[in-house]
Amino acid sequence: MVLFLSLLALLNSFSPKVKIENAWVRPAARGMNSALYFNLDNVTTKADALYKVTSKSAEVVQLHSTVKNNDGTMGMKEIKQIAIPAKSVVKFEPGGYHVMLINLKRSLRPHSKIEFTFYFKSAGKVKVKAIVKKE
Amino acid sequence: MKTTINKMVNILATAALLLILLYSCGCGQKLPENRPSGIKPVRLLNQDSSIINFPDAFKGKTLLLSFIYTNCPDICPMTTHNMQLIQEQLKKENIDYVRLAEMSFDPARDTPHILKEFGDIRDIDYKNFTFLTGNSQDIKNILDSMNILALPGDTTKTESGNIVYFFTHTDRITLIDKEGKIRNEYRGSKTNIQQIINDIKTLGD
Repeated sequence: MVLFLSLLALLNSFSPKVKIENAWVRPAARGMNSALYFNLDNVTTKADALYKVTSKSAEVVQLHSTVKNNDGTMGMKEIKQIAIPAKSVVKFEPGGYHVMLINLKRSLRPHSKIEFTFYFKSAGKVKVKAIVKKE
Repeated sequence: MKTTINKMVNILATAALLLILLYSCGCGQKLPENRPSGIKPVRLLNQDSSIINFPDAFKGKTLLLSFIYTNCPDICPMTTHNMQLIQEQLKKENIDYVRLAEMSFDPARDTPHILKEFGDIRDIDYKNFTFLTGNSQDIKNILDSMNILALPGDTTKTESGNIVYFFTHTDRITLIDKEGKIRNEYRGSKTNIQQIINDIKTLGD
């Protein structure tokens, strides 16, 4: 029975989950802020949601969306979670959804890498390395 | 009859080609604005803490001016990146009569040293690119005269005691001619770089 359950758990770990693709971060100096962008590709037949991202390289990490107000000004708002419908791609891109990195603990220089942990409602915890690039 | 039709088709094709050429090189395009900036002369600081008499220091040059704050994670870095792309394109086309400047609307945090760090990590070429900061009231007067809004938003305190706040702000790059007049305004973060280059060429040296 234990062997059977272990096998099931192993198979589950290889099953397709939400894929995190093209993860990149803007350059920023230590003590400043930056943003993380990526695509979430939910290849499964079940809806999921991203509710948290963490990194040891920033004091605070939040899910944000950039918004355009009626007077044309731009602002941001924090969002608690982002739904990822089944068989769909959700893009985090400049001017839209982004993961906000507040008070960086180290400088993010172009071509360097930074590690993040993503938390999904169904897919669980996923570690990702993002590249720092100018865009 | 056929010869006449062929001639007419040729004339129309030539005219269309000429129109496309005129549009693509920016020649003959009239810029939508031609109004004084209303900026009263002030002393600002650049990223090296050198005094810049603004706007006089840029008189006689075409100026591309944008407004940012360095704690902005998304929109302002896009604007800065677009300014860099414009700078690279100008260099490629040997256009040397343009100056690029980014003014902070968050002078309390954006000291010259912070602006330098913000520029250095992005490999800014300071040859014709300047960051500007200054006295809060002077900056406010400039923002008011150029209709730039920058309103600090929610403030939160992190576990380490850092105060975090962001701005809701105008997203703009402004083209100012060598006489100090505003000639066009563009969205800073998502902009048509070729249109700005064309407008700069329309103004000429």
